[in-house]
Amino acid sequence: MQVLIVDDSQIMRKIITGALKKLGVNDILEASNGQEAIDTLGKDGNIGLVLMDWNMPTMTGIDAVKKIRLSNNKVPVVMVTTEAEKEKVIEAIKSGANDYLIKPFNPKDIQAKLEKFLQACAK
Amino acid sequence: MRAENINPFIESVAETFESMLECSVEAGDPVLNEDAEGTPDIIGVIGLSGTAQGIVALKLPVKTALAVIGKMIGVEIRGIDSSIIDGVGELVNIIAGNAKAKFEGHAISLSLPTVVRGSIYKLTNLSNTVWLTVPFESPLGEFSLSVCFKQAVQQEKEAVHASVNSR
Repeated sequence: MQVLIVDDSQIMRKIITGALKKLGVNDILEASNGQEAIDTLGKDGNIGLVLMDWNMPTMTGIDAVKKIRLSNNKVPVVMVTTEAEKEKVIEAIKSGANDYLIKPFNPKDIQAKLEKFLQACAK
Repeated sequence: MRAENINPFIESVAETFESMLECSVEAGDPVLNEDAEGTPDIIGVIGLSGTAQGIVALKLPVKTALAVIGKMIGVEIRGIDSSIIDGVGELVNIIAGNAKAKFEGHAISLSLPTVVRGSIYKLTNLSNTVWLTVPFESPLGEFSLSVCFKQAVQQEKEAVHASVNSR
């Protein structure tokens, strides 16, 4: 499965990439803001999962999720963010996000959670 | 800044280091100062806005920054490069984001983080606030977190209430 990681932090993209590779996922694309994510999704129809940060320059993750859903793209999107308040989680789910992962996370925890997301996406 | 407002930030530093770095930290006594000055080498700064306003500054000596960011990505880093700058920005973002969720009843937004390098600096606090600086010790090295914080709406309401009552 091809996974798109969207985060303005190069370090966070590296951490998530490392966790995905340990799960055997090597087909990984990266974007550093919401607009880049939309552009990448427009070019590549094989993306099976998007891991999306919230606060990013140019276009936030939540705005990108809204645009993705407006374009009728049903790709699963998991928010990976520091925005931990209940209201933010509700806003994300209402906007079309499928799941939510809050930073900070343990490297082992993120692997376990990503495995769960990947299994759900594969069904 | 009320002293209890520093607690969510101290808890957030401990939780972030514990979960992302599998490393415990020990917080020292907070120090109150009007302007934050010192000699750290890398400072990650992030702004808070909304029903509370503030600035959070994570200050790391180079040695600590190399150890912390190296541990985060699982590689040894020998010198300051873009990953260190990026990593310190992400770290202050996570610490501030985790802390703001602990302020119940507030709607607080984070700015994008900024990272500053240098050993001679002066961080000026928001008006009517002071910096509260907490030193930390960890197996990855020493560092500190400075916070200036004010609860905007509540303070305004209190000020209006006091003004009305004094008439």
